[in-house]
Amino acid sequence: MNFALPEELLLMQRHVREFAQKEIVPIASELDRDPSFPWETLRKMGELGLLGILTPGRFGGAGLDHLSYAVLLEEISAADASHGTIMSVTNGFPQTVLRDYGSSRQQERYLPRLATGEWIGSFCLSEPHAGSDAASMITRAERVPGGFRLTGTKAWVTSGGEAQFYLVMAKTDPSAGARGVSAFIVEKGVEGMYFGRPEEKLGQHAAVTASVTFEACFLPEEALLGPEGQGFVIAMASLDAGRIGIAAQAVGIARAAFDAACHYADERRAFGQAIREFQGVGFRLADMATELEAARLLALRAAWLKDRGYRVTQEASMAKLFASEAASRITHAAVQVFGGYGYSKEFPIERYFRDARVTEIYEGTSEIQRVVISRQIYRERGR
Amino acid sequence: MKIVAIIKQVPDAEARLHITGDRIDLEGATFVIDGMDEYGVEEALRIRESGQELEIVAVALGHRRCEEALRTALAMGSDRAILIETDERIDPIEQARVLGAVVADEGADLVFVGGKQADWDSSALGPALAEVLGWPHSDWTTQLTLLGERARVRHDADGGSEDLVLPLPAVITTQQGLNEPRYPTLPNIMRARRKELRRMTLEDAGGATPATRLVEESLQVSERRNRVIEGGPVEAAESLVRLLRDEAKVI
Repeated sequence: MNFALPEELLLMQRHVREFAQKEIVPIASELDRDPSFPWETLRKMGELGLLGILTPGRFGGAGLDHLSYAVLLEEISAADASHGTIMSVTNGFPQTVLRDYGSSRQQERYLPRLATGEWIGSFCLSEPHAGSDAASMITRAERVPGGFRLTGTKAWVTSGGEAQFYLVMAKTDPSAGARGVSAFIVEKGVEGMYFGRPEEKLGQHAAVTASVTFEACFLPEEALLGPEGQGFVIAMASLDAGRIGIAAQAVGIARAAFDAACHYADERRAFGQAIREFQGVGFRLADMATELEAARLLALRAAWLKDRGYRVTQEASMAKLFASEAASRITHAAVQVFGGYGYSKEFPIERYFRDARVTEIYEGTSEIQRVVISRQIYRERGR
Repeated sequence: MKIVAIIKQVPDAEARLHITGDRIDLEGATFVIDGMDEYGVEEALRIRESGQELEIVAVALGHRRCEEALRTALAMGSDRAILIETDERIDPIEQARVLGAVVADEGADLVFVGGKQADWDSSALGPALAEVLGWPHSDWTTQLTLLGERARVRHDADGGSEDLVLPLPAVITTQQGLNEPRYPTLPNIMRARRKELRRMTLEDAGGATPATRLVEESLQVSERRNRVIEGGPVEAAESLVRLLRDEAKVI
């Protein structure tokens, strides 16, 4: 197995790191304190190709593989987790589902706008009372002459209110359970679509999260994405890539915290020596480095396997589970290394700590990942 | 039309440098394209984007690792690159002779060179290159407009700026203010790997016989010369005046 990144990818990583460090790092703390949707940097990311990484070149995307996606998402997330989240959501379901299941008309209309960052994409699955148990959703798309009538409320929509493109899961057949769900494209601004106030969150403040309510929204026939009743099947196909993305994002946040802690432990002196000389700090840094490396390897391996056509449900879940929990532990430890300064808003450490936490929750909680993995273990044994 | 952009590779000013003994240890340092040279590549790209039919050739003289800086120039949008490989330390005058031969061989209409080089700060390469080629030259250029066979430029002059019209071919040294260099896009970085990068040895390029030789190098150590003046306000003011007059001799 070759563990070296391809040369082109190393070059892309270097340039994206430079971009992220120069354009995003300087605004990250201000965006945390006084949140606003970072349109300006998103536009620049779009120009570079960072918002359409997996979308083919003929639709204006960068046409790269999942390995590149994971490596570059880590770079952006290390600069600012909120940018990483917006990037992963718009790169993810909206574009991969369009790419794999969209009609050519849908692809031509939406992919170029999304891939270049002219539009930002959102994914509407969860509801106030339906999270992990997504099949219990009650948002309804009822057939009416010429199309559908959409009614219901979606919760926790990343970029909600800011994005122009919404991939919405709704029940077309409420009696059919998971098989009664279909996917719809909704453009911002259609009549009867309302946005809630942005949620106040622990972290990732600039990745605006809002509820989206549809009050008898009329959707034309061509808003249906993929076959009716296949919404879950369609979404499941993109789930693994999404989880690899969250793993890479968690690695990025953890890396930023780890780098800062390393730097600080080398400079800060106590009792006549750099604090890294104290075993209590040095061993902690060693554990952080080891967990970070393990998390990154899980994420990159899942991506690498996916690029080679393997089914990576188990690998993606393991990467997401381990990387997100590792990110919480690493950022927690970084606060400790910094002592009082780690708790102070003068330094970004407490932000990393807050930003990392949600990686254990979105795109499938740690508990859901464990359910997936434990099922896969027995599936592999033919049970 | 053909533009040659001269590229230098220098240690990343934002990365940490290690000092081993009395030397800067470049082992493990990050090297990047010289920021001053990026303005040249960007200006060439903008000329092309304004509709001018144009080939952009990035040329570097230096260590084998300069390939990376050239790849950056290619990723920004240059068409091909030439690397004249050498580990020798060559002064700017001799560099200009070697590079001048390549530029003449390419038959370029315009050469962009960074106003100065981030490592040696010599500001000599551009003017020396113009001298070798016998071409007109605008240094520290902040504006450039092509007018057919001529170029209209604005450059820094003592106490202000000066506008000049130069016949082509010409050498332009670039600096901050000329433009805002772009970041390479992901698709262009992918393409850069497949673009031509021709390597030459210094001998292939005619060799170099530097007129200067490095005799010795030493690190500049900044000495702390601060002194705390003791005593009450009146007394301290008197000693300060005395120190400024008798020792520092500034009043």
